Amino acid sequence: MYEYARMKFYCDENRCIECNACTIACAEAHELPVGINRRKVITLNEGIEGKEFSTSIACMHCTDAPCSQVCPVECFYIREDGIVLHDKDKCIGCGYCLYACPFGAPQFPKDGAFGIRGKMDKCTLCAGGPLPTNSIEEFELYGQNRIAEGKVPMCAAVCSTNALIVGDADSVAEIIRARNAAKGKGTSSPYGWDIAYK
Amino acid sequence: MTNHLGDIQNSKAIIIFGANPAVNHPVGFKHILKAKERNNAILIVIDPRFTKTAAKADLYANIRQGTDIPFMYGMLHLIFKHGWHDPEFIKNRVFGMDHVIEEAKKWTPEKVEDVTGVSADLLYKITKAYATNKPGTLLWAMGLTQHTIGSSNTRMAPILQLALGNMGKFGGGCNILRGHDNVQGATDMCCLSHTLPGYYGLSEGSWKYFAHNWGVDFNWLQNRFADKKWMHTKGFSLAKWWQGVLQEEKIYSSSPIRALWIQGNGITSIAQQVKVQQALDKLDLIVIAEPFVNEAAVLTNKKDNVYILPTASQFECEGSVTATNRSAQWRSKVVDPLYESKTDEEILFLFAKQFGFYDELVRGMMMGVKDGKAVKVKNSFKWPEDATREIARIIKTIGLTGWTPERLKKHQQNWHMFDEVTLKGIGPMKGEYYGLPWPCWTETHPGSPVLYNIDIPVNEGGMGFRARFGVEYKGENLLAGDRATIKNAKVKGGYPELTKDNIEKVLGIKLSSKEKEIMGKNWKVDLSGLIAKYALKAGIAPYGNAKARAYVWTFPDKIPLHREPLHTPRFDLAKKYPTYSDKKNHYRVDTKYISIQQKDYSKEFPIMLVTGRLVMYSGAGVIERNSKYLVQLSPEMYADINPELAYKYNIKDGDMIWIHSPEGAKIKVKARFTYSVAPDRIFLPFHFAGVMQGKDLSENYPEGLVPYAIGESANTVTNYGYDIVTQIPETKAGLVRIEKA
Amino acid sequence: MKKLLPFIGTILLANVPLAEPNKAPINSSSALNSPQLVESIPGWHKFGALFVYIQTHWINILFLIVLLAIPTIFFLHYKVIGPKVFSHKGKKFLIFPPWQRVVHWIAAAGFILLVPTGFLIIYAKFFGGGSFIVFARYLHLIGAILFAIAFIPMTLMWFKEMLPQIWDIKWLLMLGGYLSKEKKEIPAAKFNAGQKMWYWIIVFGGFLMLLTGLLLYLRDFNIALLSTFNLNNLFGIDILRISIIVHLLLAVIIVTFFFTHLYMSIFAIKGAIASMIDGYKSEDELKHLHSIFYKKLINKEEKF
Repeated sequence: MYEYARMKFYCDENRCIECNACTIACAEAHELPVGINRRKVITLNEGIEGKEFSTSIACMHCTDAPCSQVCPVECFYIREDGIVLHDKDKCIGCGYCLYACPFGAPQFPKDGAFGIRGKMDKCTLCAGGPLPTNSIEEFELYGQNRIAEGKVPMCAAVCSTNALIVGDADSVAEIIRARNAAKGKGTSSPYGWDIAYK
Repeated sequence: MTNHLGDIQNSKAIIIFGANPAVNHPVGFKHILKAKERNNAILIVIDPRFTKTAAKADLYANIRQGTDIPFMYGMLHLIFKHGWHDPEFIKNRVFGMDHVIEEAKKWTPEKVEDVTGVSADLLYKITKAYATNKPGTLLWAMGLTQHTIGSSNTRMAPILQLALGNMGKFGGGCNILRGHDNVQGATDMCCLSHTLPGYYGLSEGSWKYFAHNWGVDFNWLQNRFADKKWMHTKGFSLAKWWQGVLQEEKIYSSSPIRALWIQGNGITSIAQQVKVQQALDKLDLIVIAEPFVNEAAVLTNKKDNVYILPTASQFECEGSVTATNRSAQWRSKVVDPLYESKTDEEILFLFAKQFGFYDELVRGMMMGVKDGKAVKVKNSFKWPEDATREIARIIKTIGLTGWTPERLKKHQQNWHMFDEVTLKGIGPMKGEYYGLPWPCWTETHPGSPVLYNIDIPVNEGGMGFRARFGVEYKGENLLAGDRATIKNAKVKGGYPELTKDNIEKVLGIKLSSKEKEIMGKNWKVDLSGLIAKYALKAGIAPYGNAKARAYVWTFPDKIPLHREPLHTPRFDLAKKYPTYSDKKNHYRVDTKYISIQQKDYSKEFPIMLVTGRLVMYSGAGVIERNSKYLVQLSPEMYADINPELAYKYNIKDGDMIWIHSPEGAKIKVKARFTYSVAPDRIFLPFHFAGVMQGKDLSENYPEGLVPYAIGESANTVTNYGYDIVTQIPETKAGLVRIEKA
Repeated sequence: MKKLLPFIGTILLANVPLAEPNKAPINSSSALNSPQLVESIPGWHKFGALFVYIQTHWINILFLIVLLAIPTIFFLHYKVIGPKVFSHKGKKFLIFPPWQRVVHWIAAAGFILLVPTGFLIIYAKFFGGGSFIVFARYLHLIGAILFAIAFIPMTLMWFKEMLPQIWDIKWLLMLGGYLSKEKKEIPAAKFNAGQKMWYWIIVFGGFLMLLTGLLLYLRDFNIALLSTFNLNNLFGIDILRISIIVHLLLAVIIVTFFFTHLYMSIFAIKGAIASMIDGYKSEDELKHLHSIFYKKLINKEEKF
């Protein structure tokens, strides 16, 4: 049987410099409405020597994704390569996925007269959605489908310091190992992975 | 940059003065991070603000602005005291280091602590880490240059590197980070008022060399000037052109400035915006040739005679640009110019046609070299290839001879065949370095990735220091010592720059009479290429091999000396380290130094002003403030303020504050709490414009073209002060007063 | 159409480089985008995991019980014990003045919108999700607004009469006499203990439902606001998680009582609903079900 890759995100806090290229490239590539941040860069302890660091956060495409577990319409589906996608035609914008998500990934456009939450929008790992691959409808609802074109997701493709890595779990782990080993610091699990991946 | 960004990966220690590559060069910063990862390199950041770069540093020194020279003397003090210097290197390759050693003796760590605010302990830690981990590279940018003593700063840093023997080494060097993609190219082509392209001076000889190469009559050129003396006189500088209009300080010019043509410069990126505004109002004519609305059109209250010519962006034109490391890159056109916009060159051609010198302007592109003379070889030209050829033909000083369009295109189209760390190519580009970093002496030379490196042969990019200032000074030899022989060179040790007269003697060759006839007077004007050819054959660079000058007898300060900024928070030190006396006719305008510094501003204006960049904007932000996504990240002009300082003024996070400059200008901005600035200073990003001293100027924009974000320009409150040599404004040191709005 | 609009907007904006100044939204200091988001990631194990557990293990079942078991019990009660029937002839007493009835019916309208749409959201899967449920969410919001309008007047107008009295214990012990067919005097003033329970659940539960609902609706918090309430140790997302857990579990209780209220007023006491329509209750009904209140009324009348 063919072994599918298990796609994972990893942001190296030693390398992330809060340049926001990932955020901007993501917004531009998928033509997101202003205010929808599929990916955000967050800096902690700004200005404090020895403590300041930045990291880029989006949907981590978790194992047994909590969002898909709590969704009352079961609009989520998980691809064999681990990418967590959802069907906006089913989505009711209830926000349960946001409450279940450890990473604050789901985004909701303010929609309609009451400013009620619209359909959820989140990182697709540039893998589109349930509509026909690379169709205009898919692009309008979910953005580019770069995975189908054999391309790296936009954010990782533009990362100026290669802090943000995406790909098969084993390859990502290999890169992290190599980076850490060179420093003689040994291997360590990246931030958030214990929650995202089991 | 003497080296290149990838070469930083070879460094064991990296020290950064007044630069914030994590924000200003995010992609380049990767190499610094990789050096940290792969080499365990120590990253040291010296900055008046805890920047994003500092966040990644192993050692960070929070320095008071404008005190880099004492800091570096403090380092040198410790270096010489502990014997961390490189005596062999100094002896063979440096001139006048004794003067520096004498000065360094005065700068004890305690004294440095008093002046710079960096503790003696930290100074020792930094110096030891940097001096004992070699090779070490030194990076700087505007934080070092934009001072009244900026030119001294930029000499001090190389002196530090020379003392440690870090120059001309892989992983070493002085790496000055240039801002935009073609800033180095603009400098090389001299978009400045004091030299001709390629750093050729304004002497008659230079003009005649160019007249010959452009195929125009020298007298014709001369007659274009009001008087021939202006041909050899520096023009106004970008920093103080407005005095040419306002004449508040005495000017020395054939006429006051009456018209302004702006092409590729954010007007709000220079200091004294209030004066700039007044000057714009007083001009007879303003023409702006830019893709976006330049703030000059917005700042001015002029209702008439302001023209905006829509100009193509870089994606709509083609040609070579020069990167920060002296590499050329070919840039291909992505789309044809949109709507009615025209490319820069087309606008200039039309201008020349209108003013009747189009033929003279383009003739150089139709010329080639025959028997050492520039002659017209064809009747038409192809843009931009023929312009590149013209540049390659003329510019010898920095060695652009090898930059043919064919080679540059080949490099651009085969990016994947070059190594990131060495820049070395493979396949058809084997042996060549990416982008042929200058000097690229001949059409087969591979380029020089690391300047002044005598450990590799000249035909692989090696060279000594240029013998630019003669062979001796007051009886002391200026040429490199015997131990400084370039690898594989037939000439041992130092040698003078090559001329028609000395080439036979230096190289020990005999020229034929034909060769003698066609050879230029010296290597800088030798169109025949024979000097370069014979030099390379002998394994030497045509420009000589001399000592680097730590002692410069032509400068106001022979060795760099500390002088307090004009507006200093330490008035006591201004008495001890006074600035220069006022300078007459500095780029055609009188410029004040001591007459400003003698007044104590520190009581009334107690807060230091730091300005700098944000990652999402560049320059004056003219382009980026039109992007809805970028604007979202930083939609408003603000001032970074330490909560401790804010408390004193009863300012809360998000409050509006007024910032007043000693010149009487003021701006109204939002306060943003952060610990990245110390409580004695504030930080302002300089990318905003469109609001002037509290007044919204959005109605001055052409209809529908107001950017998503407008705000006060930081340069409205940056203080008066200009470098003694280059006249760069002192925007990186100054004082302000704040109050809650 | 609704989902298309923002996209059309984006496309239009992308093609037309015209802009208005300062119209791009400011990067809000929402806790959901702040450094606290990163800090809250390890904290997921608290309320994040709890919400996932409750939502996946309990919510569907609990509401199913409420939806099926409660009506079944009442159905059986109706069949076995049967409704209470009182004579509606004779003297009538004005129990609910018009303004009280208006307030009650505004709240009732809110509930009529809130409860079914709430069920629609919880069992959205069976209705295929999408725009139908999104519409239900709009109605849920309208229901909440109606309820919120009635909430304060309703709390105030019955507050005094709803204070617990000693005889309420007696009422509770005999479960209001609903478990026997016998018609006897039940100890209760204007409101019996059952009604009082319902009232207090509405006052406290309703308040919490409104509050949590509002928080979920607003979704973004000003961090400064959190610190004013000394909630610095809780992050925005945790507030949301607590809110949704409270909202869901409280809904189970409130819906149970709502069903009871419906059964009592429509089926269990024949004609009881009329008193909320015209405001009058019959002497017979009062005498039996609100005996203490009835005695007071009679005393008052005799005095005149």
